[in-house]
This record gives sequence, structure tokens and C-alpha cells, in this order.
Amino acid sequence: MPVRPSGITNASFAPWIVALVFLALAAWLTFFSARPDLGPTVSAALIEQADIRPEPRRHVLGEPAAIPMGGYSLRCMECHRFFQSPPVERRILTQHTHIVLRHGQNTRCFNCHDRADRGKLIRYDGTRLGFDQVPRLCSECHGTVYRDWERGTHGKTLGSWDPASGKQRRLACHECHDPHAPAYPDYVPLPPPNTLRMGEQGSGHSAGIDSEHGQAESATLGGSGHDSPLMHRSSMPRGTKEPTE
Amino acid sequence: MTTPTSATTDVRIWDGPSADAPQPRRSFLRSAVAGAAGLAAFAAALSPLKDLDVMELADPQAFLQKHYKEMTPAEIEVALERIRNKVEARYGVRPDIRDLRPQAGVEFAYALNLSRCIGCRKCVYACVAENNQSRSPQIQYIRVVEMPRGTLDLERGNHHYDRPRVPDNDHYYMPVQCHQCANPPCVKVCPVEATWKEPDGVVVIDYDWCIGCRYCEAACPYWARRFNFAEPTLPKEELNPTMSYLSNRPRPRGVMEKCHFCLQRTREGRMPACLEACPTGSRKFGNLLDPTSEVSQILKTKRVFVLKEEVGTLPRFFYYFDERYPSAHDENVDDPRLPTSPAPEARP
Repeated sequence: MPVRPSGITNASFAPWIVALVFLALAAWLTFFSARPDLGPTVSAALIEQADIRPEPRRHVLGEPAAIPMGGYSLRCMECHRFFQSPPVERRILTQHTHIVLRHGQNTRCFNCHDRADRGKLIRYDGTRLGFDQVPRLCSECHGTVYRDWERGTHGKTLGSWDPASGKQRRLACHECHDPHAPAYPDYVPLPPPNTLRMGEQGSGHSAGIDSEHGQAESATLGGSGHDSPLMHRSSMPRGTKEPTE
Repeated sequence: MTTPTSATTDVRIWDGPSADAPQPRRSFLRSAVAGAAGLAAFAAALSPLKDLDVMELADPQAFLQKHYKEMTPAEIEVALERIRNKVEARYGVRPDIRDLRPQAGVEFAYALNLSRCIGCRKCVYACVAENNQSRSPQIQYIRVVEMPRGTLDLERGNHHYDRPRVPDNDHYYMPVQCHQCANPPCVKVCPVEATWKEPDGVVVIDYDWCIGCRYCEAACPYWARRFNFAEPTLPKEELNPTMSYLSNRPRPRGVMEKCHFCLQRTREGRMPACLEACPTGSRKFGNLLDPTSEVSQILKTKRVFVLKEEVGTLPRFFYYFDERYPSAHDENVDDPRLPTSPAPEARP
């Protein structure tokens, strides 16, 4: 068997071709090969900035109270000086018709509003309060909640966490609750998570803890490694709807 | 059959060139194929480099940077300047990044009113907007778990609930985030001490020191730690430029992150972003050492519990309840003074 010589030195044109081939190969690998998948990516959930703005839930009347009407900001008595309310207490409203009164047993306008001076609120004992003293009015009936609010264990506080800083602002009752219908309305929830290791990717509307990941995570969350028979009770298979009554 | 001469020629073709008759074309092809294959392998081996972002390259300065606790103020300022330049190059905004230190005499605590939370998830997205989490893949620090009424068994909870309206009458809502434990298992398991507990109680992470082993994620019983599996993406216009070294500066791929009680806000006296966004006032934050603070009042006067008390983590995150008086909110109860109501029976 003859010994094979090193052949490349025999071809004077070889380096050019080799270089070209190599360059083309490198370029192809660099620019046209598939980028490795770094992980599932999803389009970011669109959140209205207004949804998460740190402001009170409601805009309230100040003291003295004034409402916009016909392009003017009118105080209560500027109309009610001329228009007295009829003496019948329970009736269909002809003015302020946007008000829906859903306040439990409290079904009379003049339980809270002063009949004589509409720019004021009135307590049961006849004390008149400005519109900036709403919590004192509400405390007549909601004593325990008022106690909690004064301590800071009920209600929302903005500003600083430090009471000594003087920058704390505890929102008044009517900055969160509608005084005419104090129960909170239902909210449209912001989108569910679509995060890595937090259930299935890419659906955006995952119906429950139904994937393998979800089970694993649920087990971790619950702190026990074994399969709980209760685990699936709250989860709904994809495509089914929660029973509603 | 071929002639003997041609047979000899055939044999010589298969044997390759002989010493006396070199065949440049054949040998060239052979070496070219071998060389091309070798280079192809080489180029393929190097091809991951094409995914290397310039921003990801560890500059020597960052590589030689010390652990946060070992840096002198001057060295921290150098690190902050490096981060400023990096963020400006990437997001086009020069951030206001500082190294905020804990205040003396302050231990933070968080309280959450389960009677009031309605599960609207505003806290989740306020947190994302404040803390520069990756939008895609999504990273969120807060999980709102929808729980069936009458149980505290988290295995029955669901954080993927997607109702048209909340709250649902048969469920209550329990947001879970980092509990900033006083006895944090995540800190114990970190092999490089990249995460630790600060004097004000907040468990922090030095993102430049984290090696991404995810031991802490496994150790956390509250599922509070998040890992950057991919390079975080964040629209330039959504970047929050108010940053702190240990909290919401942009994180690289391959490190852990988690809730830090909005250090960049709370160490300056402000409220956390999740609290400000809550429409119900369910979230309370304050100084545990101040008896007049809201959290102290809650611990003193409310029914409070911590999640998974039995694992001994001593969380700084408390859940509490309100007393409720359903009759006062009952729509059916009408004023007995109303003329439409039946007259009350006269007492004997």
C-alpha cells in the first residue's frame, strides 16, 4: 500500500477555495441557523395605567360642597334656596337621578343630609357636619368600623408608612365607599399570570391548575409532596366553565 | 471483464496516489472536505456567540466587583455609575439609582386583610410596573390565590382564576408574595451568600453576586422567588427610572428576584406600590417597632395569622380578618318605621 503524501501543498489554488467554503459556512451558521429557544415568551399583558394608579377610588365633594351643573360649579344652597324638597320622604327622585340609594336600613335622604342647610350633613342628635367630616357622620351607625379606621386597621392610607412623618393621609369613608350604596361593586380582574413555572405558557386564559406544572407547583405551594385528593377539586379542566348558580 | 492493464489502473484509483505519481486534485478534495467539516464543527461550536448581546457581556469591572457587603462607599458609587451607564445604553433613560440603606429603629411588616381583598390583581400589576420585572416572559412577585371559603388549604387554591367579575361569593382571595421571613430558608441555602436579611427585615438579593442555582427558589415554602430563565424584556417607555441597588434595577438573565417590600420606596418613607394600587385598603404596611403604626395596631387588635406557621419561618407578612355584622348590610332588612312595613306587634 503506497504511503499517501500530504496533498494540500500540491494544490496552489486550494487556500482560496478552502477559505471561501469556510467563510460561507461560518456565515450561514451565524445568520441563518435557528436561534436557540431561550424559553417561552408571551406578549405582555396590556394593563391600563389608570387601573393601577395610586389614587382614591372616588372623587368626593369638598367643603363647601359644590357640583358641576350646566357648566357651572354650583353649591347646594344656590338651588335649594329656591327649591324645597317635598315633605314626602319616600318617593322617586326627580333631581339627582343618578343616585341609587342602596344603604340597607338607611333609606332616607335626611337621615344624613340636613333639610334646612343642604350644604351640610346632619347627625342624629342634630349636629351639623361639613362634607369634610364624613367619617364622624358614618360613625353614628358603623361604630366598630370607625374605631378600626381611627386605629388604621380599616381603610386605605396613602403617603408615608410612618405616622410621625406627617405625610400620612388616611382616606375618608366616602373616598372608597359610595355613601348612597356603600357595598363594593364587582371588579373586572386583571389578567391571570402567564409566567414561567406558573402553569402552562401561551394560552393566556388557563382555566385552572390542570397541567403537570400546575400540579407540581400546587404540591410545592401546599408544602406536602404527596398527591392530595383535594388538589383537583378547585381546578377545572380546560374548556369547562365553573358552575355558577 | 476488463483487461489486466485496466484492472491495475482501477486498483491504483482506490489506493490513492502513489509516491511517484501525485494526484493534486484528489488529495485537494480530500483535505478540503476534511477541513470544511472541521471548520463547520468549529463554527457550529462558536455559533452560540451570535446570541451574545453586547449588554450581556460581563465587563471586567462588573466581573471584579466585590460582594455588596464588602464594597466601600466609593466602590458602590463606581458600581452604581456602571449600572447607570448600562441602563442608559439599553433603555435610553438615565436612571436615578441609589444605594438606600435601612433606617435605624425600623423593622418593616406587612398585613393583609382577607376580609376585604376582592382578588382584582391590581397589586400584581402595580408591582410589575414599579419593579421593572420582565414583561415577556412574565415575572410577577405577587400571586393572588382564589381559595374556597372555609379552608386554608393552599392545595385547593387557584391562582389562574379568570372570572369576568370578582369577587366570587364562594371564594375568598389570598395574595401571596415574599413574606420576608425572620428565619428565611432561602438565605440558609444560598451557596454564595448572594441573598441575606437586612436589619430592617427585608430579604434582599445582590443580582451581581447570584449564580442562578435556584436553591432558594426550592427552599421557599411560599413560592415567592422568581428566576430569570430568559433575558428580561421591558419596553423602554415602561422602565421605572427610580431604582435602588438591592431592589428594582434591571436584572440580567440567570438570576433570582423577588419582592423586597419596594425598598426604593419604603426606605424613603413611602408606601409599597402594591398597597397604593389596592382599591380596597386590604394592604397595610409599617414599622413593627412603632406601637402607633398601622401594622402594630393590627397585630394588637385583630385576629392575625401567618401562612404555614408550622414550618418555622417567622414571616413578616400577616393575614388578618375583620369582624362582620351581616345584618347591617342585609338588603332585605327595611326600616321598621316605613309605612309599607307591617306594623310591629304591640308588646303586652
